[in-house]
Amino acid sequence: MAWRSKLSQSLRELRIHMCQTGVASKATREFVVKNYKDLKTQNPRLPILIRECSGIQPRLWARYDYGVERSIPLDGLSEPEINAKLEELVTTAPKGKTPIHA
Amino acid sequence: MAPRCRRYPLPLPRSSTGSGSRRFISSPVDSSVAAGSGVAGAKGSTSKALNSGVAWYAGIRGKLYERKYGSDFYKWGSGASLGGVRHARVASMPAVGAKFDAKPEDCIEVSVDGKDVTVAKGMTVLQACEVAGVDIPRFCYHPRLSIAGNCRMCLVEVEKTPKPVASCAMPALPGMKIKTTTPLVKKAREGVMEFLLINHPLDCPICDQGGECDLQDQSMVYGSDRGRFIEAKRSVTDKNLGPLVKTVMTRCIQCTRCVRFASEIAGVQDLGVLGRGGAEEIGTYVEKLMVSELSGNVIDICPVGALTSKPSAFTVRSWELKSTESVDVSDAIGANIRVDSRGPEVMRVIPRLNEEVNEEWISDKARFAYDGLKRQRLNEPLIRREGQLEPISWPQALKTVAEAALKVNPDEMAAIAGKLSDAESMMALKDFMNRLGCERLWVEGNSEDTVADLRSNYLVNSTIAGLENTDACLLVGTELRIEAPLLNHRLRKAVRNSRAKVGVIGPETELHLKAEHLGNSTDILASIAEGKHPFAQTLSSAKFPTIIVGSGVLQRSDKEAVLAAVQTIAHKANVIREDWNGYNFLLLNAAQAAGLDLGFVPGSRAPVGDKKSIKFLYLLGADDLTPEDIPADAFVVYQGHHGDRSAYRADVILPGVAYTEKEGTYENTEGRTQQTSPAVPTVGDARDDWKIIRALSEIAGVKLPYDTLNGVRARMLAVAPNLFRVDELEPATPLPKESLPETKGKLDSSPFKRAVENFYMTDPISRASKTMAQCTAAYGRS
Repeated sequence: MAWRSKLSQSLRELRIHMCQTGVASKATREFVVKNYKDLKTQNPRLPILIRECSGIQPRLWARYDYGVERSIPLDGLSEPEINAKLEELVTTAPKGKTPIHA
Repeated sequence: MAPRCRRYPLPLPRSSTGSGSRRFISSPVDSSVAAGSGVAGAKGSTSKALNSGVAWYAGIRGKLYERKYGSDFYKWGSGASLGGVRHARVASMPAVGAKFDAKPEDCIEVSVDGKDVTVAKGMTVLQACEVAGVDIPRFCYHPRLSIAGNCRMCLVEVEKTPKPVASCAMPALPGMKIKTTTPLVKKAREGVMEFLLINHPLDCPICDQGGECDLQDQSMVYGSDRGRFIEAKRSVTDKNLGPLVKTVMTRCIQCTRCVRFASEIAGVQDLGVLGRGGAEEIGTYVEKLMVSELSGNVIDICPVGALTSKPSAFTVRSWELKSTESVDVSDAIGANIRVDSRGPEVMRVIPRLNEEVNEEWISDKARFAYDGLKRQRLNEPLIRREGQLEPISWPQALKTVAEAALKVNPDEMAAIAGKLSDAESMMALKDFMNRLGCERLWVEGNSEDTVADLRSNYLVNSTIAGLENTDACLLVGTELRIEAPLLNHRLRKAVRNSRAKVGVIGPETELHLKAEHLGNSTDILASIAEGKHPFAQTLSSAKFPTIIVGSGVLQRSDKEAVLAAVQTIAHKANVIREDWNGYNFLLLNAAQAAGLDLGFVPGSRAPVGDKKSIKFLYLLGADDLTPEDIPADAFVVYQGHHGDRSAYRADVILPGVAYTEKEGTYENTEGRTQQTSPAVPTVGDARDDWKIIRALSEIAGVKLPYDTLNGVRARMLAVAPNLFRVDELEPATPLPKESLPETKGKLDSSPFKRAVENFYMTDPISRASKTMAQCTAAYGRS
């Protein structure tokens, strides 16, 4: 999973929303438990904000350069599918947005 | 004329039922006021009058309590722990019938005024009456303090006892027949009241307690309508309790609530009773101030006007005030407060009841720093021209800032959110800076490279109320009493109730609780982590072990190693388990938790560390950087409500609003989302903080996609959904040890530093406060 080390190159911030106990968030929780260590070790300076809130839809949020954000709902997905979604967020990062600075 | 207190203004419902002799006669007993409607057997006009008077009083009392503690009062039990029944929760508001939870086998049945009620074993007669919905007058009884039984106002009749009994001190027994409406009780109350009023001065018209005085209210209802006392009243020398509490000791009725508060809640043995009989006085014995961060609470518990607020003396009458329910921002506890205002001025701040956060106490800084809201305020946009700050219009100010920002490379920009920032303005600032390409953001109190990934790593996971259950607690790098007096009080409760053992690694401080100072070096931390230190054994043998790490640790260069050592201790001593998470990270500032939740931390690839490279600095009420820290060629924007330290370095000043003037979301250190509400209008040309940033974003060409408060909150929902759940606590689940990345770095042996140098002056408001300056002078570093 070579793309994982590129996470902090394309993303500015990664947010994972999930419910503490909900069934819909179960796979997301497992994903976090299994992958957080690897993701953080490979990208020590990338904020991986895990935000728990009861009853919310599990969701993956990626923030790119200049405040551009994308999100993918995760309910119904299995753990490998979540991994694939994350890869998708990394590989399809928006490119070439010109900075507004002179 | 009778020597007695009168209520000013007289709010009595008067009607003309005509029996004449009693002034409170006859409010029509409607259902909302019918606390006494269970009162049976009223015979004859006098006792009928008494009953309706009691009913009226109970209703008024309910309203007073509601006013005093907010409408939530009915929802919360008072958490009384009397007579050994700790699980029995008894609401002290009797008008609706108190509730408690206890198992059926722990209950007994008693009869109150002919009505059978089931109460928990160990409850007192007074509490049984509350369960029955009968209001008993009282002065010395307070559900959070030990029982004194010395005011005698709560006398009731119990069948087969020769004399009236003090209901607050008498345990309810099975089958007891309690009577509260008999002529004997009425006479007893009248007699007690007459004695209490013998030496109480008749200065209600000039007394600050007037209008919200228990003695005044109860004398109207239970007192005699005429006095017989013609002798001289005694007078008592006033005591000096410091710059916060004004004393008029002649008014004291020796209920000893303040004495019990000082020794049981605040943990200072300064107050006591001197003398006996007619010479009895409350005092400090020697000329000594009462040194406690919670000392202001004696003002609230004093049932008369003996202890009142010194800063607001003679400035306000209780009925002139508009009350606004809000949240305190002076520390990270988020105590629930009520802001009382008159016109555009905040006149006082008093606590609101919230059992989960502050019970009914607040710290002195929360209570008295409000006068800082009137001084040093920024009321118009300013710009620096030739070294001098000059007024400028809003459009020009924003244009100047936008132009300056667009000239700078995003990597050379930074934004700091101050201690009092609300979540909305931090959200807007983060979005704005991100859109400009800047990733270098942090909240005051955090270090620049704080990791905000896991909520369980930066919150008080045991919860504030849950800390009471601990039986062994390790404090690391924190002076709990100064950083969070209300949390210290919870720990003190644990020490008092279940003899919790407390060990302290860090600067040596008096905590007003029994604690063992283990030393101030990371070596001790390492030796506990290795299991060599005896305290490691104490922790691991505890049922509910807790660790509290102060966020002052974040300022250390070896913070990762310190936190890793603490994690090791936590895992070895089983501090983090399925049913209990005792790992607590204590934040210092009101903005910190929400800032971390929103990810107000540097994004990836942000240049972190070297402050010399900053060319554009946005300070959202942040004052911790000294002018020397800020490069001379940097363009500094200061957005805030006070002309505090960093405002002197600013190139442009944008006036924002204080917490009493806005609807802002704050998250406290246990992760509870709460909101302030505007109590007074904004000052001059100041604007809501998030609106300033929103306007600025439009001028800078990176328009934020929201322009209403609800819009900002909807955006917060996409970042940290828990900030949308107001008044709720979203617990954080810790990750198992195997899922955490390994930490590098070694402990360095330097001692832990103090995180707060002066409790009374920590933020722009308290630094501008005259009262807090007086406290600093009087108490020094307390």
